[in-house]
Amino acid sequence: MSPAPTRRWWAAALAVTLVGLVAGAGVALSGRALLVVTTTRLPVALAVGGLALGAAVLGVGALRARRAAALAVALAGAEDAGRADERARHRRFLARLDHELKNPVTAIRAAAAGLPPGDDPAAVRAHATLDAQAGRLAHLVADLRKLAELETQPIEQEDVDVAQVVRDAVDDVCAQAAAGGRPAPAVRITLPTVPWPLPHVRGDVDLLYLAVVNLVGNAVKFSPPGTPVEVRGSDEDGAVVVEVADSGPGIPDDEVGVVFDELARGRDARGTPGSGLGLALVRVVAERHGGRATLRSRVGHGTVVRLLLPAGAAR
Amino acid sequence: MRDPAHVLLVDDEQAILDGLAPFLERSGLRVSTAGDGAQALTAHAAQPADILVCDVLMPRLDGRSLVRRLRADGDWTPVVLLTQVGESYERSAALEEGADDYLNKPFDPQELLARVRAVLRRAVPGQPSLAAASTLVSGDLQVDRAARRVLLAGVPVALTPRASLLLDYLMTHPGELLTRERLLSALWGFESMVTTRAVDHRIAEIRRALGDDPAAPRFVETVPHAGYRFCGPVTRGVPTSGPRT
Repeated sequence: MSPAPTRRWWAAALAVTLVGLVAGAGVALSGRALLVVTTTRLPVALAVGGLALGAAVLGVGALRARRAAALAVALAGAEDAGRADERARHRRFLARLDHELKNPVTAIRAAAAGLPPGDDPAAVRAHATLDAQAGRLAHLVADLRKLAELETQPIEQEDVDVAQVVRDAVDDVCAQAAAGGRPAPAVRITLPTVPWPLPHVRGDVDLLYLAVVNLVGNAVKFSPPGTPVEVRGSDEDGAVVVEVADSGPGIPDDEVGVVFDELARGRDARGTPGSGLGLALVRVVAERHGGRATLRSRVGHGTVVRLLLPAGAAR
Repeated sequence: MRDPAHVLLVDDEQAILDGLAPFLERSGLRVSTAGDGAQALTAHAAQPADILVCDVLMPRLDGRSLVRRLRADGDWTPVVLLTQVGESYERSAALEEGADDYLNKPFDPQELLARVRAVLRRAVPGQPSLAAASTLVSGDLQVDRAARRVLLAGVPVALTPRASLLLDYLMTHPGELLTRERLLSALWGFESMVTTRAVDHRIAEIRRALGDDPAAPRFVETVPHAGYRFCGPVTRGVPTSGPRT
């Protein structure tokens, strides 16, 4: 914000006032009885007076509006800087967390591997639990680190066919369900073909695939068997939009604001396996492509997540 | 029967040494340990190891400096560094420092064992490893790693940066079965939240660019239900001049 124009305005007004005061004082001190007699017609005098008053009011209004706009810009800038600062602090925290966790987790895994499980069935079970949980912790540490890196490291800039990414992601989620012996999910894909197909975006095809596969995987995971999941592609105002909608349990209002945070797990999601990193990854991928991810949900009805990416451009 | 290979484990975390040493010994290796790079140099001089497994951040002499010190002395004993390789900075640093393989903490001890065995299999005593080569050659395929340039029969081949990284990884691990999960972890850094399609995509890109027929591969072979293997012979090459891709 630059206050210079306002200061100039006040300086000019002060200078004019001072000139008037000095001139008035000079005339008063001279001892002469001088009068100004005007012979303007009343309608003209009223009109000129009204115009002068109106101009003064307009001037003051414009000045206040400009000050308010400058203040809003300053506030927005401060908020942006605050958010960037918060993200940077968050990244530093994740880096420290990674540093502090990786050695103990490595030691636990090494100790479990170095310890023969023995013959006692209880010891074998305990050994298996130790090994599996240490492995899970190790994956979590690695994925948290990767997520923190993703926020800052350069990403690839390729031409990406989002429609193909959507089809691949849905194919893979369905194939995973089949491989896991689960019923085939009812995923419906709607992608435009006329008057034009979904525009391409520029960016990292692997990251975009990861984002979409996470969204589709989540939707399938939280939908009751047999209920539909819809994946809809569209383009609007230079952006490519991918929406993934499910008829799952929905997310309570007080949790919607934090679902894109790392390790966010809803109260109702605690019984469902997952790392709590999927939606955080979706958010980071969207942001790194100059886009955003948003979510709407109604408890008892379902959830729709919207991934919006600038068409043909990436940062 | 051959003597078991001698591994020198170097880490300043005693708990890691305490866990890994018995595990590697149970797996048929002879293990000695050191708490930092300086101790490792002394131990290695007194009783040369066949391979060093070395943390990076350590007091006195860190892992990277230790490798540089060994290589500067003409010692090409294989080294596995316990850090991530994949980012562009680390790749070029990796080339310079001449470690033979990388594994990111926290790792699966079984994975470490597999890497140690693979590196020992590849190692030619007294010879620098392929991981330290500036140019790799397989038939008419030449990869100039420092310049990030791939030539096929002398003609530049365009690859995306990630496909080029993957080709590099495959060629520095010739003949080794690399699972999709391992490739994903080594090159993308992700462990658990994805399917491995990304790997298949890049393999397809490499095959297209190199004209490699998956049914009769010269370079990249698919190992059914397991992963991929670089099947061509790989040697160190001499960089040739040519346009950069």
